[in-house]
Amino acid sequence: MLEQIARVLFWLSVGEIAARSGLLPLPAPVTGLILLYAELAVRGKLPDDLGVLADRLLQFLGMLFVPAGVGVIAHLNVLKTEALPILAAIIGGTAITLFVTMVVVNLLGVAIAKRREQELGRLEGAVRDVNS
Amino acid sequence: MREQFAMSTLSQLTNLTWASLADKPVLETGATVFAFLAATRIARLGGNHPLLNPTLLAIILISLGLEATHIPYETYLRGADAVHFMLGPTVVLLAVPLFRQRAIVRASWRLIAIGLAVGMPVGVLSAIGIAWVLGASSQTILSLAPKSVTAGIAVGISEQIGGLQTLTIVLVIMTGITGAVLGPIVARLCRIEDPRVVGLTMGIASHGIGTARALQINEIAGAFSGLGMSMNGVLTAILLPLVYRLL
Repeated sequence: MLEQIARVLFWLSVGEIAARSGLLPLPAPVTGLILLYAELAVRGKLPDDLGVLADRLLQFLGMLFVPAGVGVIAHLNVLKTEALPILAAIIGGTAITLFVTMVVVNLLGVAIAKRREQELGRLEGAVRDVNS
Repeated sequence: MREQFAMSTLSQLTNLTWASLADKPVLETGATVFAFLAATRIARLGGNHPLLNPTLLAIILISLGLEATHIPYETYLRGADAVHFMLGPTVVLLAVPLFRQRAIVRASWRLIAIGLAVGMPVGVLSAIGIAWVLGASSQTILSLAPKSVTAGIAVGISEQIGGLQTLTIVLVIMTGITGAVLGPIVARLCRIEDPRVVGLTMGIASHGIGTARALQINEIAGAFSGLGMSMNGVLTAILLPLVYRLL
């Protein structure tokens, strides 16, 4: 398990070096995520302990935002004075995103399914021709 | 004589250890864990409805506690540093579920690519656009930009482009709750039943909170949602600061 903790901290540290040196305009944890994924992809296998560690920690990911989130009490005035644009952007923006994305992805999904059906149909036709 | 010396050094050492431990207040960390635990219980009592988000409930509980005890936020944050520290390593571990889902990615990469190509820019631009038209300050707009991204990554993006990190966290949670509530409603209105489409979209638009709701639809929706969340987070983190610098 310690080995897996070291692995995570290693990639996170690499991400931090890249961020602090101005090499990458990426938050350190995101660079760490990409590098850990790349390592797993190269290995082709997930170490058991790493899976356990991820499952345990990701379970209470929501708790880890609490200390930083409490800091919003210092900006309650922003939330109050700009309540209308904020609420409109969040509710309106999310509704627009959900609607547009769902419709476009669904159209593509239907198109892919239809093409697959056509291919299958053609295949069946060919099989029938061979058999007749 | 030598024994006595050794004893006294030992006791000095013990004192030193205790002193340094006392310097690391456990109160704030404990309060955070307890508040989140209580929030999780409350959410469970309410059938885990998206509006009863444990993170938001815990933030409210701690804020009320700080208000009541007149403890300044900086003191609390210093004390709860252990919890805050875990955020970075845990975000790195998002690579694990992503790696586990690579078979899904290979099978449905076209759907996922289109979902991201549409959902990511629409998510960022619709929020920025609406806030700008309604006269929000530039700091609020920058804090809003990564609103659809999972909070651990969103705070990093917010920092990169000059938003307020703490504001971003709250806006991200509000977005997650909105997406979790609206996702199934929009799907029903559009008569879309494909769990891959619904899940992927909810993950892209409303990250982890949307994913928790998608998991209640079914396992496929949940898997696609988790995938949409992680990939949207990584892509936004790469593209948003880049585009912001170019503008």
